[in-house]
Amino acid sequence: MIGMEFFLGFAAILFAIGLYGILSSKRGLVTLMSIELMLNAANINFITFASYSGSASGQVFVIMTIAVAAAEVAVGIALMLNAYKLNKTTEVDDLSTMRW
Amino acid sequence: MDIPILSLLVLIPLIGAILTLFMGGTRTKYAKVVALVFTAIALVLSLYVMILPSSDLANLTESYAWIESAGIKMSIIFAIDGLSILMVFLTALLMFLVVIFSWNEEDRPNYFHALLLAMEVGLMGVYMAQDYFLFYIMWEVTLIPMFFLISWYGGPRRHYSAIKFFIYTHVASLVMLIGIFGLVFGTTGGDFSFAAVAAGADLPLMMQIFLFGLLFFGFAVKMPVPPFHTWLPDAHVEAPTAGSVLLAGVMLKMGSYGIIRVCLNADIFSAAFPYWQPVMIGLGIFAMVYGVYACIAQNDLKKMVAYSSISHMGMVLVGMGCMSEIGIEFAIFQMFAHGLISAALFMVCGLAGHNFGTRDMRLLGGMAGKAPKFALFMMIAFMASLGLPGLMGFIAEFGLLYGLWEYLVSVNLTPLILLGLLYMLLTAGYYIWAMQKTLFGRLTDKIDLEHAHDIGNIECVVLAVLAVLIALFGIVPTLATDYIMTFAGGIALI
Amino acid sequence: MMGFVDFAWLVPLVPALCFVIVGLLGHKTPEKGGYIAIFGALFAFVMSALVAYDYYTSDAYKLGEAIIIGPIEWLNIGGLSINFGVYIDSLACIMMLFASFISTLIFVYSLGYMHDQGEKKRRYYAEVSLFLTGMLGLAVSSNFLEMFVFWEVMGLCSYLLIGFWSFKHHEGDDASDNAASAAKKAFLVTRAGDVCLMAGLFVLLYAFGSLDYDYIFSNAQTVYANNPTLINIGILLMFGGVIGKSAQFPLHDWLPDAMAGPTTVSALIHAATMVKAGVYLVARSYPLFVTSSDAMLFVAIIGGVTAIYTASMALNNMNIKRVLAYSTLSQLGYMILALGAGGYLISIGMQEGNQALITLGTMGYAAGILHMINHAFFKALLFLCSGSVIHATGTEDMRKMGGLRKSMPITAYTMLIGSLSIAGIPIFSGFWSKDLVLEAAFAPFHDGLGMGSVFCVLFILGMITAFMTAFYMFRMWFLTFMGEPRGHCHGESPKTMTVPLMILGVFAAFIGLIVLVNFSYFIIQSLAPGLGGALADLGLYLGFHDSMHILEEIFTNVWTYVAIVLAVAGIAIAYMMYVKKPYIADNFDQTKKGFLYRLVANRYYFPQLYNQISWKLGYGVAKGVDIIDRNVIDGTVNGLSNAVVGSGEGLSQVQTGYVRDYAAYVVIGVLVTIAVIVLMVCYGGGF
Repeated sequence: MIGMEFFLGFAAILFAIGLYGILSSKRGLVTLMSIELMLNAANINFITFASYSGSASGQVFVIMTIAVAAAEVAVGIALMLNAYKLNKTTEVDDLSTMRW
Repeated sequence: MDIPILSLLVLIPLIGAILTLFMGGTRTKYAKVVALVFTAIALVLSLYVMILPSSDLANLTESYAWIESAGIKMSIIFAIDGLSILMVFLTALLMFLVVIFSWNEEDRPNYFHALLLAMEVGLMGVYMAQDYFLFYIMWEVTLIPMFFLISWYGGPRRHYSAIKFFIYTHVASLVMLIGIFGLVFGTTGGDFSFAAVAAGADLPLMMQIFLFGLLFFGFAVKMPVPPFHTWLPDAHVEAPTAGSVLLAGVMLKMGSYGIIRVCLNADIFSAAFPYWQPVMIGLGIFAMVYGVYACIAQNDLKKMVAYSSISHMGMVLVGMGCMSEIGIEFAIFQMFAHGLISAALFMVCGLAGHNFGTRDMRLLGGMAGKAPKFALFMMIAFMASLGLPGLMGFIAEFGLLYGLWEYLVSVNLTPLILLGLLYMLLTAGYYIWAMQKTLFGRLTDKIDLEHAHDIGNIECVVLAVLAVLIALFGIVPTLATDYIMTFAGGIALI
Repeated sequence: MMGFVDFAWLVPLVPALCFVIVGLLGHKTPEKGGYIAIFGALFAFVMSALVAYDYYTSDAYKLGEAIIIGPIEWLNIGGLSINFGVYIDSLACIMMLFASFISTLIFVYSLGYMHDQGEKKRRYYAEVSLFLTGMLGLAVSSNFLEMFVFWEVMGLCSYLLIGFWSFKHHEGDDASDNAASAAKKAFLVTRAGDVCLMAGLFVLLYAFGSLDYDYIFSNAQTVYANNPTLINIGILLMFGGVIGKSAQFPLHDWLPDAMAGPTTVSALIHAATMVKAGVYLVARSYPLFVTSSDAMLFVAIIGGVTAIYTASMALNNMNIKRVLAYSTLSQLGYMILALGAGGYLISIGMQEGNQALITLGTMGYAAGILHMINHAFFKALLFLCSGSVIHATGTEDMRKMGGLRKSMPITAYTMLIGSLSIAGIPIFSGFWSKDLVLEAAFAPFHDGLGMGSVFCVLFILGMITAFMTAFYMFRMWFLTFMGEPRGHCHGESPKTMTVPLMILGVFAAFIGLIVLVNFSYFIIQSLAPGLGGALADLGLYLGFHDSMHILEEIFTNVWTYVAIVLAVAGIAIAYMMYVKKPYIADNFDQTKKGFLYRLVANRYYFPQLYNQISWKLGYGVAKGVDIIDRNVIDGTVNGLSNAVVGSGEGLSQVQTGYVRDYAAYVVIGVLVTIAVIVLMVCYGGGF
C-alpha cells in the first residue's frame, strides 16, 4: 500500500504549481488553467482521505467539484472571449477597469 | 358603524399616491385634481372623527393580525385618542392646504403629488399605530417621500441637504429601532403591540434608563433638539415650500409625539423618569435659548424660521420634561399650535423667495407698500409665533412657561425661569426685527422690483384659512383643549 | 332683572366687530370705515355710561362690591382653569367712560386729520377700533390673564399705529425708516415689561391657584402672610409690566420715539389711554399691591424719579410732539407716585391697624386716579391741538412756527386751556389732582413714617417737576402761538378737528371739578372688596372723601400755595425768555455745547445705552451662537460623515483590479490563519 503522504505530497505540489501560475502569470487563460490545477489538487486530497477512511462522502464532493469546475471553466472561457472581443487582449492586468 | 375609518385614513392617501404616480404624460395636469380629491376625503374623514363624541373613539380601534411566526407577533393596530386626533387632523388639514398651495407646481406634478400623498400615508400611520413595528415602518415611510421632495424639487444645494436629512434621521431611527427591539424582547419577548408591551413591562432600572435613552435619542433627533439639529435648517432652506410646511408642521411633531406616546409611558419607564427629567428640561431650555440666538444671527428668512422651530420645539420638550399634567397637556397644545403657525410661517417665507426673488433680509425692505397682502399674512404668522395673546401661540407659551416655573420651584432653581423670559423677549426681538427689515422702512432697490409681486389668490385663501384657524383656536382654546383633556385622563405620571 | 350692566361685555365687543367690519369691508364704505369706527366708539361710550349708571344705582355699589358678570371657562387644561368675565366696579366704570369718550372725539377728529391718507385710512380705522377693544377689554376684565390678553392687544395696536407710516411715508424714505424703527423699539421695550408681567402672573397663579380678581383680592392678605417673599417678587414683576407699558424709568425711552406715528395716535394711545393701562393695573391690583409696603415704596420712587427726570428732557426740546411726550411721561410719573405713596400709607396702616393712615392712603389712590382722568383730557387736548398745528404748518419743529395765535385762534386758545390745566393753575382740572398727588407724596413724611425722608425727597422732586411743567408747557405755547411767524401756515383746521378740540377744551378745564361732587368717594369704592375688613368702617371714608373735606385739605395746606407760586413763576420765566426777551433763549442756544444741554438733548444717552445692551446681549451672542452652530456642531456632523466616507475611500484603494493581487491576499490570509491556528495549538494549549 502506498503511503498517504505520497498522495498528499503530490496534491500539494500540484496546488503549489497552480498557485504559482495564478500569482505569476498575466494571461487570463493560464490563470484559469492554474485554478483548474488547484481544484484538482483539492480533489486528490478529498479522494485520498475518502479512500483511507473508507467513507464515500469525499468522493461525492469530488464529483460536485468537477461539476462546478466545468461550469466555472465554461463561464470563465466565455468571459475571456468577451473580454478579448472588447479589449483585444486576455491579459488580466489590462482588465482592471472594473474596480470601484 | 363598521366602516374602518382609521384604515381608510391610511388607505385613501395610499390609493391617491398610486394613482397620481401613474399619471404621466398628458394626464400630468390632472394629478393635482386627484391629489386634491383624495386629501379632501382624508380631511373630511378626520373631521368626522373629530366631531365624534370622545367616548366613541375607542370603538374605532382596528386590529389585524400581520406577522405571526417563531414567537414574533406583529399586528396592524390603528387607534385614535385625544393626542392622535389633533395630529391626524393637523396632517389631513395641512396636506389639503399644501396641495392647494402648490396648485401651480409645473415640475413633474404627478410625482410631486404622489410624494405628498405617500407622506400622508406615513404620517397618518405614525399617529395612529398601536404596534411598535407598524409604528417604526410608518416612521420610515415618511422619510423617503421627504427625501425625494427635497432632492427633486429643492433649491441649489438640495442633494447635500436631502442626503444629510436622510442619513441623519435614518441613523436616529435605527437607534430607535434598537430601542424598540430591546423594549419588546425585554418585555413580551415578541409581541409588538403597545398594549401587550405595557402590560408585560417589568424592566430593571438600568434597562429602563438605557432603553429610554435609545428611544429618546431617536425621537429627539426628529424634533430636533440641539445639538442634533443641524439637518433641519439645511433641509428647510433647500426644501420646496410644500416640503418645509410638512416638515415643520407635522414631521417634527412625530418626534414629540413619540416621546409622549412611547417614552413617557409610565407603565414601562416610570422608574427612569427621575433620571431623564433633568436631561429633558435642560436640553429643552438649551434648545429654546440656543434656537432663539441662532435665529437672531440669520439673514435668510426661511432659515430664521427653521431655527425658530427648533426653539419652539424646545418648549415642547420642556413641557414634556415637566412630566406634570400641565406640562404635557400644554406641550400637546403647543405641538398643535406650532403645526398651524409654522405652516403659515413657511408658506410666507416660501412666497417671499418666490415672489421677490430672494429671502435675504439684507436685500429686502419696505415690501409692505409693494405687497400688502404678503405683509398682512407675514405679520399674522410672525405675531402668532412670537406669542401674541389672542392667537394660539400665546396660550401654549403661557402654559408651558408656567409648567416650567412649577417644576423649577419644586427643584429650587427658580431663577432659571429668567431663561424662559429671555426666550420670550428675544423671540419677539428677532421677529419684529425681521419684519422691520423686510416689510418696513425704505423700499429696497437691491431686488428686481419690476418682477416682485404680491401673493396670488390661491395662496391668499390658504393663508387666510390658516390665519382664521390660528385666531379661532387662540380665542376659543377649548376647541382643542377638550381633546387634550380626554387624552390626558389616561396618562399617569410621577 | 337684567340691567344694562349685564350687557357690559358689549362695550369691548362692539369695537371688536367694528374692527372686523372695517378690516374686511372698510374700503367700500365712505371715509374707509371712519364712520363705522366712530359708531363703535360712540356705542361703547353710551353703553359704558349706561353701565356706570346702572352700577352707581345698584346695591353692589352701596355695599362696596363689584359686579362680576358670567365668568365663562376660557381655558381648562392641565388642572389650570382660567375664567373670563366682566368685572364692573367704580374704577372699571371710570376707565371705560373716559377711554370711550376720548376715543369718540379723537376718531371724529381723525376724519379731518387723516382725510388725505387715501387707502391707508381703512388700516387706520381698523387698527384704532382694535385698539379700543383692547382698552375697554382691559378695563372690564375680571381676570389677570384676560387683562393680559387685552394688554398685549393694545401693545400690538400701538406697534402697528406707531408704524403707520413705516412704509411709503409722504416725507420720504428716511421718515419711513424712522417710523419703523420707533415701532420696533416701542414693541420690544414694552415687551420687556410684559415678559416681567407674565412672570408676575406665574407667581400669582402659583401662590393663589387662580387669577380671578375677586379671589386674589379677598385672599391677598392671607397669602402674603404665608409667603411674603414670593408675593413681593410677584408684585415687583407685575410692576415691571407697568414700567414698560406706562413708560416709567428705566423703560421710558420708547415713548418719545413713538411720536413718529400720526398725532391722533399719539393723543389716543400714547397720552390718553394705553399708557394709562399701567397706572390702571396698579390701581386695579391695589388690594394686592398694598400687602407689601416695600413694593409700594419702590413704586413711589420710580414714579417720583420718572416725573422729574423726564420733565427735564422737555425743557429744551424743539419738537412740539416730543415736548408733549416728555410731559406725558412726567405726568404718568405723578400718577405712579401718588399711587405708590397712598399704597405705602395703606400698607403701613394695615400693618399697624391704624385707620387714619389707611384713610390718608385712600386719598393717594383717589389722587392717582383723578390725575389719570384729568390728564387723559388735557393731554388728549394738547396733542390734538398740536396735531391741528402740524396739520396747518406741515412741521413739528417749533422754530418754524410762531405767531399762530392769529391764524388759528381756536387751536391757540384750546391749547392754552390745556396748558393752564397741566401747569396746575387753580380752577383748571390739573390743579386739583396735582395738588392731591403732591399732598399724598408728602403725607408719609408729614406723619413721620419709617421711610418718610424718602417721601420728603420725592415730594420735593414733585414740586420741582410742577415748576418745570409750567415752564416747558408755556415755552411751547409761547413759541408756537406768540411772537412773529417764522414759517407758513394755511389757517385754522376744519370743523371736524376744531369741534372735538372745543369739547375737550371744556372738559380739560372743568373735569377736575368732579372732586366737588364727592367723586373721590366714588373712586375709592373700588378698593372696598379688596381691603375688606380695613374698609369696614365706610362712614369714616365717606367723611374723609367728602368734597368739603377735600377742599379743606387742599386750601389749608401751605404747600398748595407754594405750588401755585411755582407754577406762575414757571409761566413768567417762560414769558420772559420766549416772548419778552427772546435773546435770552438765543443765548442758551448758542451755548448748545454745554454739558447739561447735551446730556438732556441726548436723553441722558439712554438710547445709546439700550442700543449697546441689545446689540451686545442680542446680536453679539447670536453671532457667537451662529459660529458655533456652523463650525462646531455642524462641523462635527459633517466631520463624522467625512470620516466615514474618507475611511471608505482609503480602504477602497486595496481594490487594485489585478486578479493576482487578490489571489495573493487570499494566500496571505490563509497563511496567516494557519499560522494563528498553529500558534494557538502549540502555545495556547488548544482552542
